[in-house]
Amino acid sequence: MKKNMKKATALCLSAAMAVGLLTGCGSGDSGSAGGSSTGGSTDGGAVAAGEVDLSEPVELTMYLLGDKSADFDEVYAEINKILAEKLNTTVKVEFLSWGEHDTKYSLLFGGGEDFDLIFTASSWGHYESTVAMGGLYPLSEEFIQAYAPDIWNVVPELAWDQAKIDGTIYMVPNYQNEFGQDVLAVRGDLMEEYGISQITNWDELMEFYKACAEHGQYASQGGPWYQYFQAQGFSVTGGAPQGGELILYKTQDPEDLNFYYLLDWDGFTDYCHQMKELADMGAWSQDVLSSSDERQTGLLTGRAAAMAWNLGSCKTYAKQANTEHPEWNVTLVDPVSAWPKKVNSYINNGMAINAASKNKERAMMVLNEFYTNPTINDMTRFGIEGKHWEAVGDDQYKTLEASSGFGVDSNCNWGWMNNEIKRTEYIEDRTAVDDTYDAMLEAWDNNVKPDHIYDGFNFDRTPVETQASAVEAALGTYYSPLVNGLVDDVDASIEQLRADLESAGIRDVIAEMERQAAEYVASKQ
Amino acid sequence: MNNKKGVKGFFKKAYKYRAFLLMLLPAVVYTLVFAYYPMTGVVLAFKKYNFSGGIWGSPWNGIENFKFFFQSGQAGLVTRNTVLYNVAFIIINTVTQIAVAILLTEIRGKHFRKVSQSLMFLPYFISWVIVGVMAFNIFSSDYGFLNRLITALGGEKIAFYTKPKAWPFILVFFNLWKGVGYGSVMYLAAIMGIDTSIYEAAAIDGANVFQRIFKVTIPMIMPTTIILFLLSIGGIFKGNFDMFYNLVGTNGLLYNYTDVIDTLTFRALVTNNNYGMSAAVGLFQSVLCFITVVLVNKLVGRYDKDYTLF
Repeated sequence: MKKNMKKATALCLSAAMAVGLLTGCGSGDSGSAGGSSTGGSTDGGAVAAGEVDLSEPVELTMYLLGDKSADFDEVYAEINKILAEKLNTTVKVEFLSWGEHDTKYSLLFGGGEDFDLIFTASSWGHYESTVAMGGLYPLSEEFIQAYAPDIWNVVPELAWDQAKIDGTIYMVPNYQNEFGQDVLAVRGDLMEEYGISQITNWDELMEFYKACAEHGQYASQGGPWYQYFQAQGFSVTGGAPQGGELILYKTQDPEDLNFYYLLDWDGFTDYCHQMKELADMGAWSQDVLSSSDERQTGLLTGRAAAMAWNLGSCKTYAKQANTEHPEWNVTLVDPVSAWPKKVNSYINNGMAINAASKNKERAMMVLNEFYTNPTINDMTRFGIEGKHWEAVGDDQYKTLEASSGFGVDSNCNWGWMNNEIKRTEYIEDRTAVDDTYDAMLEAWDNNVKPDHIYDGFNFDRTPVETQASAVEAALGTYYSPLVNGLVDDVDASIEQLRADLESAGIRDVIAEMERQAAEYVASKQ
Repeated sequence: MNNKKGVKGFFKKAYKYRAFLLMLLPAVVYTLVFAYYPMTGVVLAFKKYNFSGGIWGSPWNGIENFKFFFQSGQAGLVTRNTVLYNVAFIIINTVTQIAVAILLTEIRGKHFRKVSQSLMFLPYFISWVIVGVMAFNIFSSDYGFLNRLITALGGEKIAFYTKPKAWPFILVFFNLWKGVGYGSVMYLAAIMGIDTSIYEAAAIDGANVFQRIFKVTIPMIMPTTIILFLLSIGGIFKGNFDMFYNLVGTNGLLYNYTDVIDTLTFRALVTNNNYGMSAAVGLFQSVLCFITVVLVNKLVGRYDKDYTLF
């Protein structure tokens, strides 16, 4: 009997402990969520000081996007040594992989995760949506000047302007001229075999796609949608549904302040018909919508003759493909070469502070180091000097053999890219791809397109959130199949999509967008 | 007076059955923590969620969140798909599971029975993610096993990932393949519980195998069948997200035949970042499930009181 009682008490106790643990978790969460809201409101006013008590060591948590390189921890241990000495602070880095950042980014804020710094970017990096949900800490000019004076001196005013949402800055934008135009890395051997001498415009690109299909070779991993509308001088609109693709504007014509809703624009119908023809010929796999291949997989495995991405990535994979298969002779082509080039806005990469962070001042000071301390900035780009890279003069670098453990600029260091201290690559044995790349970049640098006022415009969907969400949900069924030419009947599908979007409330979205755009234009004049 | 006695009686009983109550405790705690505590989150369905306010501090916004679901034009479609798939799953799985259970008990060879049971059980342990990859390798038009086979036999390739009508069959098949072994265990146990003297009596009366199955086994396992049926009816508005998402993914071409409430909600959360709307759809689902289970339970009760859940 006594033994039984003992057992029972033990059971009771352990059950009680389990309950305690579980409820403990729950209340902890709500506690921190409550704390964040009060923290946000009081801190805004008490900035002026500029001096922070650095006597206590602090470990900050920073979230970056992508996958962790093999030597990442080693490099950041070195960086932490410098930070510890200078600011009595260290940084712990967590990664959100490419596959999961879409789903997990907002959960970091929603779940009350304790972190301080996070990578962000306009639209693709969740900047606007996170700000709308109150996740990022507003950075006042005084706050930036007090805790990151060097950043304030370096970053151009235009960049700060772009980062403003409703007049307030929530991110530190990066500072570099990055071109927002995709190119193609193409198999040179196949171009020669099919008798295609160059790909500089849409018609030549279509010729190449058809030639591939006729020879039973997949050309790419889907329809070249961006190339189509870019060839006509259009660009996606920041914040519009479907990553901005549903509503375009004519970026090459600063006078044209209209928005082009895809289903009211003849170009979309024309494109879909062309894609249907290509898909039926076999220019890409029928499985593209269900495939989980990465953008470069097709080219690297030889399943596709080309890949489309930004200039830098295309160069990297073109070189990789050439190393593995020298006979492929992969080269870079610009299928919309007729137009001047659009420079990405500075908020295409950036860093932000979590509104619930307990160490906002320290976080800003650390950011200041990453951004403007040449030693640290170099380390985040190339790794450890002498192991991964070596300096060539003051402004160039050369990669060493170990660099595969910490790829150049592939460790989500894009948020603190700084044109003033950015080293360029010194290449010893240049390949044809390097020459093409340099020539292309030089041509682009000399041919930057004039500003269109909408280049910096970002649609805030909060006032029409219900309609915008319904539109996104309705797009799921027909949009990607149309863009990749996989529907049975193009016209019927377009009509169906049009009807779905109308009932979801696309007109309200467009009206609100035009209202905001007019306001934005007025505020800029 | 009476009341006081009742309280006293309660404690007395509680003490008397303390061992049973203790055994019950973990289940009660589990249900409270993982089912009742999160239920307070339904308030999200009526709120405009933001990070600084959290679940409790965010402002109310009435039924705005529900509007999105019905305005998207998808509500009818996904609800229809969810229910039809679940009806198909319940009927086909139940029939097959009972058939398998009966066949297994009728098999004489002990080793053969054990091996076949284990083999059927195995798919239950394979994650849907893996099943999704397997399906892609079977149905892909470029590298798929099935298309290789078809072309080798001189046929024309079938692009399964652009043929929505094929998918109800594929999905039902995989669901069955994965669930049949596990589900049949319940029926196997019920059959084992049948008094053998009934079979002996039937044999003396000259019943053959089929009569034994249809006149004895099936009627005897009817209560188990109905309880399991009622339990699965409770989830008739809930799509098996793991299965649909991993087999279909974001292939819009197949949505008309494969999109269920759960996958639509998931996409809404991911593309729109909207917690309130997802919560609203979840609540819509739960309410429908609740109504169905109460109704069906009532109907069953009319037929025979002993078969009801509550």
